[in-house]
Amino acid sequence: MAHVPLTSIGKDVTLEVDSATSTKRRGVLEERESVLRERRAIVEAGWGKKYVDRVHQKGKLTTRERLDLLVDEGTRQFEVGTFVNWGRKFGKVESPGAGVVTVFAQIEGRWCIVIANDNTVASGSWWPRSPEKIERAQEIALKLKLPVVYLVDCSGLYLPEQGLSFPGRTGAGHIFKKNSELSDKGVPQIAGVFGDCIAGGGYMPIISDRVYMTEIAYMVIAGAALIKGAKSQHLSSLGIGGPEVHVHQSGCADVRVPDDATAIRCIRGEIAGTGSSSNDFYRFGAGALEPNFPAEDLEALVPTDHRMVYSAEEVLARLTDGSLFWEILPDRGKEMMVGVGRVNGLYMGFIINRQGILDDTEHHGAKKPAGILYKQGIAKTSAFSRACDADGIPILWLQDVSGFDIGVEAEQLGLLGYGSSLIYTNSTNSVPMFTVLLRKASGAGYYAMAGHPYEPVVQLSTSITRQAVMEGRTLAIAAFNTKLDDDFNIASTDPEEIEAIEAGMAATEARIEADMDPFRAAAQMDTDEIVPLADLRAWAEVFAETSYQAMGTRRVKNPRIWSLHDIAALSEPRG
Amino acid sequence: MFHRLLIANRGEVAARIARACRDLDIQPVGVVSEADADSAWAKEMDEVCCIGPGAPTDSYLRGERILQAAKQMRCTAIHPGWGFLAENAQFAALCRQHGVTFVGPSPELMASMGLKSPAKTAMRAAGLPVIPGSDGPLADAEEAARVAAEVGFPVILKADAGGGGRGMRLCHNDKEVRESFGLCSTEALANFGSASVYLEKYLTGGRHIEVQVLVDNYGSAVHLGERECSVQRRHQKLTEESPSPALSDVERRELGAMAAEAARRVGYTGAGTIEFLRASPNEEVGPGKLYFMEMNTRLQVEHPVSELVTGIDLAAWQIRIAAGEALDFTQDDIVFRGHAVEARINAEDPTLDFRPSPGTLTKFSFDLEAGPGKLRLDTHLKQGETVPPHYDSLLGKLIAWGETRDEAIATLLAGLQSAQVEGLPTTISLHESVLQSDAFRSGDYDTASIPGWPPVAASN
Repeated sequence: MAHVPLTSIGKDVTLEVDSATSTKRRGVLEERESVLRERRAIVEAGWGKKYVDRVHQKGKLTTRERLDLLVDEGTRQFEVGTFVNWGRKFGKVESPGAGVVTVFAQIEGRWCIVIANDNTVASGSWWPRSPEKIERAQEIALKLKLPVVYLVDCSGLYLPEQGLSFPGRTGAGHIFKKNSELSDKGVPQIAGVFGDCIAGGGYMPIISDRVYMTEIAYMVIAGAALIKGAKSQHLSSLGIGGPEVHVHQSGCADVRVPDDATAIRCIRGEIAGTGSSSNDFYRFGAGALEPNFPAEDLEALVPTDHRMVYSAEEVLARLTDGSLFWEILPDRGKEMMVGVGRVNGLYMGFIINRQGILDDTEHHGAKKPAGILYKQGIAKTSAFSRACDADGIPILWLQDVSGFDIGVEAEQLGLLGYGSSLIYTNSTNSVPMFTVLLRKASGAGYYAMAGHPYEPVVQLSTSITRQAVMEGRTLAIAAFNTKLDDDFNIASTDPEEIEAIEAGMAATEARIEADMDPFRAAAQMDTDEIVPLADLRAWAEVFAETSYQAMGTRRVKNPRIWSLHDIAALSEPRG
Repeated sequence: MFHRLLIANRGEVAARIARACRDLDIQPVGVVSEADADSAWAKEMDEVCCIGPGAPTDSYLRGERILQAAKQMRCTAIHPGWGFLAENAQFAALCRQHGVTFVGPSPELMASMGLKSPAKTAMRAAGLPVIPGSDGPLADAEEAARVAAEVGFPVILKADAGGGGRGMRLCHNDKEVRESFGLCSTEALANFGSASVYLEKYLTGGRHIEVQVLVDNYGSAVHLGERECSVQRRHQKLTEESPSPALSDVERRELGAMAAEAARRVGYTGAGTIEFLRASPNEEVGPGKLYFMEMNTRLQVEHPVSELVTGIDLAAWQIRIAAGEALDFTQDDIVFRGHAVEARINAEDPTLDFRPSPGTLTKFSFDLEAGPGKLRLDTHLKQGETVPPHYDSLLGKLIAWGETRDEAIATLLAGLQSAQVEGLPTTISLHESVLQSDAFRSGDYDTASIPGWPPVAASN
C-alpha cells in the first residue's frame, strides 16, 4: 500500500460536549487566556511610550515597527520566548521579553527566524537570559535551516547584571558561536544595523552574510565613553564605528542605507534571493485544506481541570487537513494514539495521549486509566517515532501525561527499559520534532514524550499546562509520608502537631502549584511559548511549513517508500 | 482513460454520467440504496453495489462506504454527479489519499469556493466584480454598522458557512444591523459550526445568470456561454435557457471571457459554473450591473442547455479532464448556435404549494418529434416505476433546441403538451403556463416572481 490511507475522524463539537458544559469550559479557559493576552500586550509595549518616543526622536523605528515592515503584508508573526524573564526584577526594573524579540515570520514567501533587539527596553541591551533567548532562536533556525534576520540595535550587556550573562557556557559570547555554526551549515544570515551596537552588539552582525548599516548606526568594540575612560581620547562612537568606517574602510559591513525603512526593504530583497520554499513540492500533489472542524472547538473539548477526560481523536480532528488521519497500530497500547495526517498539505506524524478509562490491550477484558505510559504504548510510540525519523516525517507530540505506570508489574515488565528505548529514539532522531504540552506534562512522561530536555525544535505550553515531577498533593503526601497513616490521614493525636503537619502539607502543595504556572516555566525558558488552545492549528501549520521549506537539507522520503507502511502491513490482522 | 468509473449518485444524475461513460468506453459502476435497488437506472450500470438503506445519510452521503465500494469494484475514478457528495472537499481529499480520482476540482479549491467570503475574496482577486460589502468576515457589530453605512441600506448579513437561503438576516437600518449581528453570529455557530458572518448590500430581484466553464489541468480555460436561471421558486430553479435574453452579444462575450479567466486564475479544473447576479435596472446604485455570487464546483442540473447550443458534451469532457486529457479546442472553436430551453419536471403539485408527491408513474411518455426544433429528454424513469420518497422529486428534464428563441420555446411547449404523465401530479402545467406568459416570451423577467404563475383564472 503506497497510498497514505487517511480516514475521516472527529465529529461536531455539539455531539461531544453539551452546550452548557461548552460555555462553562470556554469561560474558565477565557479567564486564563485573557491573562495571557494582557501579559503579551505588556511585553509588546516594552518600557512604554516614553521610550517609544525616544526611539522616534532619534529618527528610528521601534523594533516592533521594523518587524511589521519586514514581514509579508497580511501575514502573522509567531513569537517564541515572549515571557522570558517574566516577573523578574533587576533592581527596580524589569526586562520585557529579555529585551529581544524572536519570531517565526514570512518574508518574500519564505519562513525566517527574526531576532530583533527591543530598542524600547534599555536601548536593546542584553539582560541575563537575553543571550540564551537569542541562542534558542538560532538553534531553531539551525535545526530547520531557516534564514535568519538580525535587526541589531544593541548597546551591549546590561552591565549591572553582567555576572549573570557574561561568563557562562551560554553567556553572550555563545551567540557568536551560534552565528558561526549557522554559517558553517549554510544557513543564510542577514543583518541590519540600526543604532548603537557596542561590544557584543557590535560582534553580532559581523558573521552575517550581508550587513546593512543605516547612517546613524555604528558598531564598535568599545564605545566613545569607554575610550574616554581608558585612553582619555574624545571621540564620537559614530565617528569611530559608523558606516563611513565599516562600509568603506574596514569592510565589516556591506551597504550603507539612509534609514530604517530602506534597510528593511533591502533585507527583504536579500531574502528574496535565498532558496524558495519547497512546500508545494512536498505536498505531493495536494494543497492546504482546513480541518473540517474549527480549532476554536478545542476550547470546549479540552477541560481546564486536568482530572477531566476528553477525546484525543477530537483534538487531532481540529489539527489535521480535512480532519483526515491514518492511525498506526490502533489495536495496541490504546493509551497512545499515533499516526499521520496532513497539515497545510504537508505530512506530519502525531503522537498524543488518550485520556479516560480504556480497554487494556495487555490484559484481555481488563480496563485501565490512560494518560499514563504502559509497555505497549511506549513500544508503539517508540516504533512510530523511529519510523517517522526514517521517513523524514516531522513529529508533533501532544502531551497530556501523568507519567509512567508504576508498581510491581511495571518493574517486572521492564518499563525502565522500554522507556529508555523511547528516550534513545527521541534523543537520536534527526527529523524535526515539536512538542505541545496540552495539559499535564508530568514525571518521566514529560521526558519520554520529547519534552524540552529532549530538545524538540519548539515546545509550546497552553494556559492550562502543568509541568512537574508530580502533582502538589502527591508530593505533599510523599514529603509527609512518615507522619501519615495508611489512609493518608495524619497519624497524630496532638492538636498542635496536627496543625503543623496540615500547614506544612498545604504549603508544599501551594508551592508546587505555583511552580506549575506556565508563566514560571516560560520565564525561566523551560518552555518556548504559551499559546491559546485555538491557536494550535496555526502553530501546527508553522511547524509543517518550516519543516519542509528547505530542500536538500534533510531526508524527506516520498510516501510510497515510507517504512510506516511496513509497520502497518505487519500489524494487519491474520487473514 | 479510466476503465471503470464509480458513479456516486442516483437517478437522472447517475443515468447521465453513465451515458457519458459509455460514450468514452468506460464501464460505469453504480451504487444504490436499498430503495433504489430495483430501479431502471441502476440497470444501465455494468455492476451495482448496494451501500445502505434508503435515507441518503445512510447511503449516498456515506463517503467512506462509497470509496470502499470503488476500491472493491476496481474503479479508478469516482464521479459524484451533482448533489450528495459533489461539493464535499473532505470526500474528495479522501479519494485522493486512496488513489481514486475524484471527478472534479481539487479539494482545496472546493473548500475555498464552499465558503462565501473566501470565494468572494478569491474571485475579486481573479478580476470578477463582487457585490459591495465587507472584506471577509466581520469582527463585531461596530464593523458591521460601519460597512453597512458605506454600502447603503438595505444590507444582508450572511453566515460564512451558510447556504441555500439559510443563515441570512435582512437589515434596513443601523439599529437592525447592530441588533442582528450577534444573533446571526450565534445562529451561524449553532447551525454551521462557524460564527463567521459577512455583510453585503441587499439587491432586490435581479436576474440569475451563470457561466459554464471548462478548464483542463494545463491551464486552458474556455466558457460555454451563459444560462439564464431566473425562473425560480424559493431559490429552486424551474426553467433555464441559453443564451440569456438579458445580455447583449458584447456583454455575453465579455462576461464569458471574464469568467473563464477567473476560473483559470483561481486554479479551477474540470467543469464548473460561475453564478452572477444581474442587478435590477431599478437599482439606485449600479443598475443592470453583473456581480459574482458563487462558483459551483460541479456539473449542474441545467447543463444540457449549454450542450445543445455548443454541441459540446460537458459530462464527457469533465471525465476526460479528470483523466488528464487536455482540451483539444479553444474558445474560438466554440460556435454558439440557436437557443435552448429546459423544463425541470418534478413530482410536485404546483396547485398545492409544490408539495412533493411520490408514487407510481402509471404513464410516462413524451413525443420527442413534437416541435419545430429538437427535443431531448433526460430521465432515469420508465413507465410503471415508483418514485421513492427519500430523494428529490425530479422526474426528468425536457430540453428543447431551436434556431431562434421563439422556436425553442414553441418546441418545448409542444413537447410538454405531448406529455402523457399519469399516476402523480407534476409541474408540467406550471411550465406550460410560464412558457406561454408574456413576461417569459418577452424575455423580461427576474427572480422576484415566476412569470405566468400562478395562472390567471380561466374565467377571466
